[in-house]
Amino acid sequence: MLSAILLQTTNVPKTVGGPITAYWPVMIFFVFAVIFPVLPIVLGRFLRPSIYGKGKMRPYECGIDPVTEAHDRFTVRYYIVAMLFLIFDVETIFLLPWAVIYMGNDFSFTKFALLEMFIFIGILIVGYYYAWRKGALEWA
Amino acid sequence: MLNLFFPALVFIWQQAPGGRMSDVSNSITHPDISKFLVIGALLFIIGVAGVLTRRNIIVIFMSIELILNAANINFIAFSRYLQDTGNANAVAGQVFTVFIIVVAAAEAAIGLGIVIALYRNKETIWVDEIDLLKW
Amino acid sequence: MNLSLALQIQNVSPDVNLLLILPELIVCTAGVIVMMVDAFARPRQRWMTGGLALVGLVAAMAASFWMWSGWAGPREAFHGMIVLDELRLGFTFIALLVSALTVLVSMVWVEGENLPAGEFHSLLLFATSGMMLMASGGDLVIIFLGLEILSIATYVMAGFRRTDLRSNESSLKYFILGSFSSAFLLYGIALVYGATATRTGLAGTTNIAEIANRLDVSLYPPLLFAGAAMMLVGFGFKIATAPFHVWTPDVYEGAPTPVTAFMAAGPKAAGFASFLRVFVFGFPFVATVASVQGQIHAAWLGALVVLAIITMTIGNVGAIVQNNVKRMLAYSSIAHAGYALVGFVAAGATGDPVFKSEALSSVAFYMLTYAVMNLGAFAVVTLIARSGDRRTDFEDYNGIGFQSPGLAFTLSLFMLSLLGLPLTAGFMGKIMVFRAALNAGYYSLVVIAVLNTAISAYYYLRLIIVMFFRERTTSWSAPRVPASVIVVLIITVLGVFYLGLFPNRVLDAFKTRPPAVMATR
Repeated sequence: MLSAILLQTTNVPKTVGGPITAYWPVMIFFVFAVIFPVLPIVLGRFLRPSIYGKGKMRPYECGIDPVTEAHDRFTVRYYIVAMLFLIFDVETIFLLPWAVIYMGNDFSFTKFALLEMFIFIGILIVGYYYAWRKGALEWA
Repeated sequence: MLNLFFPALVFIWQQAPGGRMSDVSNSITHPDISKFLVIGALLFIIGVAGVLTRRNIIVIFMSIELILNAANINFIAFSRYLQDTGNANAVAGQVFTVFIIVVAAAEAAIGLGIVIALYRNKETIWVDEIDLLKW
Repeated sequence: MNLSLALQIQNVSPDVNLLLILPELIVCTAGVIVMMVDAFARPRQRWMTGGLALVGLVAAMAASFWMWSGWAGPREAFHGMIVLDELRLGFTFIALLVSALTVLVSMVWVEGENLPAGEFHSLLLFATSGMMLMASGGDLVIIFLGLEILSIATYVMAGFRRTDLRSNESSLKYFILGSFSSAFLLYGIALVYGATATRTGLAGTTNIAEIANRLDVSLYPPLLFAGAAMMLVGFGFKIATAPFHVWTPDVYEGAPTPVTAFMAAGPKAAGFASFLRVFVFGFPFVATVASVQGQIHAAWLGALVVLAIITMTIGNVGAIVQNNVKRMLAYSSIAHAGYALVGFVAAGATGDPVFKSEALSSVAFYMLTYAVMNLGAFAVVTLIARSGDRRTDFEDYNGIGFQSPGLAFTLSLFMLSLLGLPLTAGFMGKIMVFRAALNAGYYSLVVIAVLNTAISAYYYLRLIIVMFFRERTTSWSAPRVPASVIVVLIITVLGVFYLGLFPNRVLDAFKTRPPAVMATR
């Protein structure tokens, strides 16, 4: 009985979407993006004279002698700031579909959409203000 | 439970490509929806395997994000391939994806917060060592 | 694509009806206000937040009662994203009640533990709004969002005692398994969305009523099966059915006790609300078994029967061997999810609107009785545990019966009600659920459930025996009972007797009044 139902699925249209040719520019861009940095490095390897000194092999840190290893622990405050950034950054994703449908065809939608977005941003500001008051943005 | 999953396996098997070279090139220029579903399913499986086998909390978080993104890919593929104009539901998949992205960000923030709180008390991010509560 | 999006919207009105989400709006606004008060008030004024939260919850309850009694307007809004039926109203009431009682339990506790009261109460309100959205969502988008609002707030609440390692661990476990399960649910939703595209060229849908219409004309029936299975797993995690229950004891033990009370009663009820709506209304019963709809209905119903049996048994057997009261109550909550699943099976097994409405109301009633007696029990456990949740083992209850008779007798009452002694709420809840299952013809399921109830007598009575008939070796000083907790205990004790003696009014309110509405919904 089950297989009878499954057989119905075989007449599913196989290619509903169009060709993927719209992505050719992206692929060409990708190829160039690989060639561009790799080529000078490979060429330079063959063309340059290779003279190594101690000072040359040291990591460059704005001209000052490096003090510690690079693999050091970061303070936890970076995470808190990063989290706040992450949340507020991602919330702006709602602005995009909103902007697309904002006008519609005859502007019948506009007043409502504007009001809704003000409410949304208002709530975000409340959250931001809360984080501020609670000292999440204090560095010291 | 098994008889719910079984039809999906049959379906994937049915959708497997035939194998002729022209079919392959044709399927690259004209990808049908099953390609995207397979990518989604692979991401899903990688995510589930990651959650079940890895012992580092951060890696587990990343695996959960993979599952969410697998769902995203499915939503986008379905709404791109199966849309019909004049029906608001055609974009439902894309709008759903936007919500998922936001929820994933909120979850990641909360998860990192929890890990930081735990790390302050017990300096570990390995789930094997978090064993205070047991039956 | 952008163009098509813009074109599609031109003829679509937003279909806004803010009155239909009034309770949710009130709770959300109260949450934001509590947050702001917390940010701006001086430390002395922090106690205000609990009062404000209570005001918001009571206002929302009034709004939902108003919708219950005299709603003449449309019964869905936002293009079917929000629906209004007795199922929603019943579970909204449970969510608000649970939240209000939790606020009362936690008012003094939060101060005593030196925790930020404002944060706790605003998180609680946001979690409540999530639960209400889960009950009112007629669309998988809303259900998912409600679930996430609820879960994210609850993860934080579980880890609320930041300096306590057990609380951290509980929160982490809840977070990992919770987000894992919602990811499962989400993948299931994605599959169902794709599968419900029709052969006639309609795009997929996430609207539950629409899904039910499209089962037989769907483009990819196999994906429908897989999607339903994934959603079953996702919801199974949320309501803690075996074999997806392993997180429950750890999380319930480690979380602060008032939060455990909330988690055991609230999110479980909300999970049942959307679980019921998605499966009973989204994949409904149909007489022709050979159709896709018939197959999928038979499949999920069969899976659910098995889940119900395993859940009851594992919950009860697991509870027997526990030495920690919170852990014992966690396993008991698993077992109660199993009993409620019996009613769920009954609701799913019938196409007759009267029987279906009866079974649905029995599940809602069961969750209400469970919420009342569970919150009461956890209120007492909170008092006895003292600060830092130090005394939660069975030994800590040794012989307190005659030294603090008030507390001991109320706790015994809740235990007897959880067991299902006649005249108490638990008995009536079980009777309703079992009767619905008997009407649907699930005799063996009911027999197993009754046997499980007999098993459960062991561990519920054990606590009573420990309290009254054991010698106490260590000294006992009776905990001071704050006024707010006395209010909670009075409400829950009265609730246990009221629901146990006069259940008809509540049951009638939970039933769908005109059967025609259920048919169209």
